[in-house]
Amino acid sequence: MNIQKLLEKAESFLNADERKRKEKRKHLKHVIKKLKKHEKSLVNQLDSEVDPAIRDELEKEITLAHAHRKKGLKVLKQLKKDKKSLPQSIEI
Amino acid sequence: MVRKAAPLSAHAHKDPVFKKITLPAIFAILAYGFWVSPDFKEIAAGVAIFLFGMLSLEEGFKAFIGGVLERLLRRTTDKLWKSLSFGVVSTTLMQSSSLVSVITISFLSAGLIPLLAGVGIIFGANLGTTTGAWLVAGFGLKVNISAYAMPMLVFGILLIFQKSKGLKGWGYILSGLGFLFLGIHYMKEGFEAFKDTIDLTAYAVEGYPGVFLFALIGLAATVVMQSSHATLVLIITALAARQITYENALALAIGSNIGTTITAIIGSLGSNVDGRRLAGAHLIFNLVTAIVAIGMIYQLTHWVGVLSAWLGIQNDDYALKLAVFHTVFNLLGILLMLPFINIMVRFLQRVIKPRVRSIAQPRHLHAATIELPDAAIEAVRLETLHLYDNASSIIAAGLSLHLSEILSGRPIDEIVAKARKPMTFDIDENYNESVKELYGEIVRFISRAQSTMSPEQSEELFVLRAAGRDIVEAIKDTKHLHKNLSYYMVSENEEIRKEYDQIRSSLATVLRKLDEVRQQGSDSSTILSLDALKVAMREYDRDLDKRLNTLIRDDLISAAMSISLMNDSGYAYDVTKSLVRMGEAFFSTGEINVREAERSIALDKGEIDEVLQQSDNSKPNSKP
Repeated sequence: MNIQKLLEKAESFLNADERKRKEKRKHLKHVIKKLKKHEKSLVNQLDSEVDPAIRDELEKEITLAHAHRKKGLKVLKQLKKDKKSLPQSIEI
Repeated sequence: MVRKAAPLSAHAHKDPVFKKITLPAIFAILAYGFWVSPDFKEIAAGVAIFLFGMLSLEEGFKAFIGGVLERLLRRTTDKLWKSLSFGVVSTTLMQSSSLVSVITISFLSAGLIPLLAGVGIIFGANLGTTTGAWLVAGFGLKVNISAYAMPMLVFGILLIFQKSKGLKGWGYILSGLGFLFLGIHYMKEGFEAFKDTIDLTAYAVEGYPGVFLFALIGLAATVVMQSSHATLVLIITALAARQITYENALALAIGSNIGTTITAIIGSLGSNVDGRRLAGAHLIFNLVTAIVAIGMIYQLTHWVGVLSAWLGIQNDDYALKLAVFHTVFNLLGILLMLPFINIMVRFLQRVIKPRVRSIAQPRHLHAATIELPDAAIEAVRLETLHLYDNASSIIAAGLSLHLSEILSGRPIDEIVAKARKPMTFDIDENYNESVKELYGEIVRFISRAQSTMSPEQSEELFVLRAAGRDIVEAIKDTKHLHKNLSYYMVSENEEIRKEYDQIRSSLATVLRKLDEVRQQGSDSSTILSLDALKVAMREYDRDLDKRLNTLIRDDLISAAMSISLMNDSGYAYDVTKSLVRMGEAFFSTGEINVREAERSIALDKGEIDEVLQQSDNSKPNSKP
């Protein structure tokens, strides 16, 4: 590891905003992953369901889960963008 | 071990007359002692510096009591041996059994750990605290520790001046250790100088009278100093300076072990029933251990001598032998009490019963939880759920339905169709009785708890407080709805009756779904599925608009009815919105960061409309 990389690592460790942003990203990713799993299980349920009323309910739930995931990805993207606009000073 | 006075109700239990006399008496005795002997002054200053170091150390560790400790506690307290180990390790690391008991009582009061785990931790902490004696006797007396104290203090204070909470915490820990070392140094010096003028061993009492007398002195000293650690250091330094006999030192150590439970009892006064049971367990443990130790003191002294020789401790190194004794008798206590731990827990549950409370009184807001952010947040969450329980009964009655029926598995439409009689129910009176005061208590607790929190934790409390307000808003909207609903649900006009029944069904479904999500737990997808209620309500609102046109055009309802219906559907929508927002904030039991992530992707009004649009488009018969 060269000195530049080491400095960058030290900076990201000491910069409270950057640490907070990383934490947020980590947890958001965790929630999105859960939503993806949930959406997949709903799709599987829908495939094997024949009752039209239940199918209708499942479709609604899938649309909702998809909308949550989409919003989650949008927030995640925004957090990535925020990294570039963060102040570069070291905060001790 | 050091205890800071517990806030809130703990103060209310202290006797003011006793307090008024005690403090001036202690001041007078100390002042006389300082006047008579400069060496006594040095020893007392050593104790004061030592205690200040303990406070600083506790302050430092508090900076690190965040999610990490909560996760660790939850993970390490599912089995008794884990709770015991947690108690031993955490007390050894933090060198403060007081902090460990405060944390345990807080987490117990907030319902984060069960009583058995709490008792296990306290047993472990009793053993962990004996490492202090080893450190002082083995290290503190052998080297010039004041040389270590100086740089620690300088670096510690420099770190305290830093902005970062973590660095500040390390600063308090470092300076705390510095003060501890400095305190030990002064005690050591004081006793060394003391022996040139007075020989305290002249006051030694032999045999069992001596054992009882010195055990009492140890107990009193610990109660006054609120720290068994300080008493023990005092005993060790005095013993090293040959100012007390070895036998009397052992009795003092036994007494200080009993004295330490007094501080635990004071701490438990501000906690709930489990906190008081834990203090009971602590008292039983230390009393039984002390009785056994006093009864077998000569046999124990013999075994300690044998063990010390085996460990290579010199026969005249009484300080280290005292450390061995302290460990042996606490270990003996654990071995004696461990087989009976379940019986003891059952006994305490039978003897110490919860105070009878009305539904409006807080159940989870205790003084013991206010100092620890995680426990305080959990207490607020649980108390607001209690508030919701009270509120949901009012909301159900506002719909002229019984909550128990709504939460039964029967179809909602059937329940609504059968409940035809409007309930005569004063929402205002019920709100004042079971919600208003409780919400006031929650808000008061939040404002007090916020002072020790990080920005993220304060933000979480802000969200919880806002969600509590949502509950209150939902009741107010139900109140507006109640009058027309009671009137139209028995109307002769079938159309308006149907419309109001639909409002009742929709809100009953909201209450049922909220209960289901609450029972199912903390999965993010379950919590976010509450947004489906917002979609359903929006869909209802939109369909009502279409239906209203037909109803008015075909003269099926009057203009007055249509206006009432429009207003009341608006109230129903607001009740749903408030309750869903509340559910999203309270039903998630995950970490703060996960909860924050869930909230950041909950859908707003525009996004709900988009989902509705997409659902319409996906229907086979939908029009473009």
